[in-house]
Amino acid sequence: MIKVSGLVKSFTQGKNITEVLKDVDLKIEEGEFVAIMGPSGSGKSTLLQLLGGLDSPTNGKIEIDGKAISEMSENQRTIFRRKNIGIIFQNYQLLNNLTVEENIAFPLYADGTLDKEKMKEVKELIQAVGLNELNKKQANLLSGGQQQRVAIARSLVNHPGVLLADEPTGNLDRSKAEEILLLLTQFHKKNNQTIVMVTHDIFAAGFADKIILFKDGTIEQIISREEENYAQYLANFMA
Amino acid sequence: MSVKYGIMTLLYDKKCHGYELKIELDQLLGNKGKVNPGQIYTTLDRLIRDELVIPLNIDEQERKLFTLDASGKTELEKWLLEAVPYHSTKEDFFFKWICARKIDYANESQMLEQQKAMVLKEVMDLTKLKTDLLIKGDENNYLLISGRLLHLEADLNWISQVENRQTKP
Ligand SMILES: Nc1ncnc2c1ncn2[C@@H]1O[C@H](COP(=O)(O)OP(=O)(O)O)[C@@H](O)[C@H]1O
Ligand SMILES: [Mg+2]
Repeated sequence: MIKVSGLVKSFTQGKNITEVLKDVDLKIEEGEFVAIMGPSGSGKSTLLQLLGGLDSPTNGKIEIDGKAISEMSENQRTIFRRKNIGIIFQNYQLLNNLTVEENIAFPLYADGTLDKEKMKEVKELIQAVGLNELNKKQANLLSGGQQQRVAIARSLVNHPGVLLADEPTGNLDRSKAEEILLLLTQFHKKNNQTIVMVTHDIFAAGFADKIILFKDGTIEQIISREEENYAQYLANFMA
Repeated sequence: MSVKYGIMTLLYDKKCHGYELKIELDQLLGNKGKVNPGQIYTTLDRLIRDELVIPLNIDEQERKLFTLDASGKTELEKWLLEAVPYHSTKEDFFFKWICARKIDYANESQMLEQQKAMVLKEVMDLTKLKTDLLIKGDENNYLLISGRLLHLEADLNWISQVENRQTKP
């Protein structure tokens, strides 16, 4: 479970302080697939960075599976992240001069846990994301959709309980995006993985159980399908 | 359905006789095909019976004129503000919208927003259904639903286009 309370994040540039996240409270159950939608600049990526422990909050608390990552040192956070959290970045962030296989195995290699058994798993993941034929190809020679598949496989290599994805289909056309979303859904269902996905695309958000509408650094509304007039809220928010 | 509301749209702010209605209705329905005169007269009879349309006197060329009653206006406006469900094949939002434009309907933006909500609800439902179908291994129905979603995407884009042009100075 992810539990966020009173979360604040401000950035200081010279004398200017910008409050990017303002008092965010949020609970995401284990195994839930949640989408976050909101205007550009509203703080979605910042929230995801904090959930992933890539940065620390100015104020407030973040708990993941009962561990308060907001109270950890940077090193503790990094260790926790490597074990428990997978992150798919907006611009893939692959290591360009490494192959598909090397990119996907990289987290294990960095952890010093890459052995024969793990390498077998890496191969299975490569198969699952449909990159068999390309596993020896250098990452920078792949198309956008293929790079995103590598990024997904890499994010899953440590069996994280939580997967964070920032606009995973942002640069892809409709049918490529569909394949990526189906992959995510498949892993989510199979491993009961918690997914938090930022997207501006309602056709991607439709894959999620819940949609968080985010605006000006705070949650405006949480939309769930069971609610009576949720579509009106959505239409109004997207206007 | 379209003939009934088409006639009411045409009579909203002017009087017409049967032949005029036929010509203008063909235009309003666009590529949806021509209406036969018999259908116009039976629909008019029903509208008169329901006291939505009032038959007037005969004009100088001895043609009967019709006009829309106040209750007819109310009925038409109520219809315009009802979003069109996607399971219905009887109705079509584009037709409803062109009727609204024809009478310079004041609540067009509300109509568009309600229809958008209708599309979004459908998108949410169908996306869920589509993944469930695929997980069950029903490839064909998965693809059919995907096709419907692409149509909904086009509808959503169209609504945005209309809205964007409205807010233009
Ligand atoms: N490291 C940073 N330093 C200063 N400002 C930042 C930093 N990261 C993000 N911001 C600012 O925070 C705001 C929200 O950014 P972001 O979280 O990327 O929004 P979103 O992902 O919703 O588009 C933006 O105005 C951005 O300029
Ligand atoms: Mg962002």
